[in-house]
Amino acid sequence: MGETRLLLKHANVPGIRHYDAYREHDGYKSVEKAFTMTPEQILEEVKTSGLRGRGGAGFPTGMKWSFLAKPEGVPRHLVVNADESEPGTFKDRYLMEFIPHLLIEGMIVSSYCLGSNASYIYIRGEYAWIAEILEEAIAEAKANGWLGKDIKGTGFDCEIYVQRGAGAYICGEETALLESLEGKRGNPRIKPPFPAVKGVWGRPTVVNNVESIAAVVPIIMMTGAEYAKIGVGRSTGTKLISACGNINKPGVYEIDMTQTVEEFIYSDEFCGGIPNGKRLKACIPGGSSVPILPANLLLTTAEGNPRYMNYESLADGGFATGTMMGSGGFIVLDEDQDVVYHTYTLARFYRHESCGQCSPCREGTGWMEKILKRIDEGQGKMSDIDLLWDIQRKIEGNTICPLGDAAAWPVAAAIRHFRDEFEWHVLNPDECLTRNYGLAGYADPLEIKEQA
Amino acid sequence: MKMTTVQFSEETYKKIKELVTHYPEGKQKSALIPVLHIVQAESDGWLDVPVMDHVAETLGILPVEVYEVASFYSMFNLNPVGKYVLEVCQTGPCMLSGSDKIINHIKEKLNIQAGETTPDGLFTLKPAECLGACGYAPMMQLGKTYRENLTIEKVDELLEELKKLA
Repeated sequence: MGETRLLLKHANVPGIRHYDAYREHDGYKSVEKAFTMTPEQILEEVKTSGLRGRGGAGFPTGMKWSFLAKPEGVPRHLVVNADESEPGTFKDRYLMEFIPHLLIEGMIVSSYCLGSNASYIYIRGEYAWIAEILEEAIAEAKANGWLGKDIKGTGFDCEIYVQRGAGAYICGEETALLESLEGKRGNPRIKPPFPAVKGVWGRPTVVNNVESIAAVVPIIMMTGAEYAKIGVGRSTGTKLISACGNINKPGVYEIDMTQTVEEFIYSDEFCGGIPNGKRLKACIPGGSSVPILPANLLLTTAEGNPRYMNYESLADGGFATGTMMGSGGFIVLDEDQDVVYHTYTLARFYRHESCGQCSPCREGTGWMEKILKRIDEGQGKMSDIDLLWDIQRKIEGNTICPLGDAAAWPVAAAIRHFRDEFEWHVLNPDECLTRNYGLAGYADPLEIKEQA
Repeated sequence: MKMTTVQFSEETYKKIKELVTHYPEGKQKSALIPVLHIVQAESDGWLDVPVMDHVAETLGILPVEVYEVASFYSMFNLNPVGKYVLEVCQTGPCMLSGSDKIINHIKEKLNIQAGETTPDGLFTLKPAECLGACGYAPMMQLGKTYRENLTIEKVDELLEELKKLA
């Protein structure tokens, strides 16, 4: 089965970035429909849809909305999290760059439902040209009466502002994002209070990922019940997957989560297999924070069933033998890749991005980077592997925000599944400088097909 | 507070005035990051202390509130940089696609190390962490644009092109 396109349906239509083409292809119809409904009815549709947050955590969006406090006389805000920075993830960028109006449309419906008269898109600073694309789309929407005062005579006012960050992965964490939006360092806040009660400027705030808010458009158009029929089990609707690494066709794919991982990697409709006839060694299927799996556990669960591209199946086996859907950043490693060095680049990333507030993360990420570097360079000791394990365990769960966990999991999973590769580096300090451990025992269980 | 001597362009003051309207009354500090982007662009790509002090004065906040933000975010430079800052991504997915080769090539070609600027003040090499272009790796950020699917040849062409522009 190929792609199921709800979000990217019109992504290839010429001129879809601009209002006229977008409007011709059913653009802003969900706003027209939403204005015939009450905010409560919209909330019910989103709840019924089973939509789960597309940023990584997978928390039900409707439930998040229902927590929003509504004290008398206090303004509320919707903030869209476009701080896409998780290594392997570039799906929101694709959506905003090619169909910006879909996000704007989803934001108007969501703002109407939540009662937000001023909504914000917090976009990572490096996506400078995309911020300009969004600002242009907002101006077009406003010129056509979809934003501003008394929109289409409903009495509902709404403005959307784009705010650029300035290079900080941590600002993807929702409370750090709110701090940043207030013009401060991106230090995550202690929760509670949650943003739904005290968010930006102390006001009740909903923070949602770009893809989640865009998904509100098809949900309103087709009803939540129909949306929930797409997908499988509690993985409803469609999910954008950004695929990268050692594959023939890197890019963004919209799937209905019924595909097997094997089909996703090898089918020409998706990743198109691995270049140069190389074999699959490992994969991180949901952004760099989620556990890496060797090929055999990636393609089949521990019980030997095929693994599917959805929240439940990817998580099957817990962290012992499974992983997570995460943000949908799908990173493929072929047989020539060195898991120790790859893990080192991720550890360096997390050390660079730690905000420095909590000691376990601030110190621990630096230690992990240093130890991984020396193992990679053939200067590690056997005890370093246990030391790494010990450090990651002491970071996990001991920090204000999930960056600590996100830094710990890749190291834990690499040791859990590739311990012999770490040991090989220690035992072969010279050889590891000239060649990689290679596929070793991690060959994918697939039959080798003759290359044409 | 002592009055600062730096002046921004008229355009910038106008833009700051507009930015402040995005937020509730009294929350003009929210404009700080967007303002720093604008003034860094018109201050040779970096933020000197007098520039930051003037931002504080313009927004009615304390200088330290500006310093702590400017030093937190990786896009703000607190030291002079070259005319062209080559920010090559080196995180996992880019590494898998050969970013190390690109970085090493630039180092050799320009004879500088990571974080350094060429003596003619033209290029700074600034290895970066994930820029959200993993499917189009290896890549670099150059000003407001991304240069993607890089090869050694493409890097050479780019450097030549930039030298001519300078």
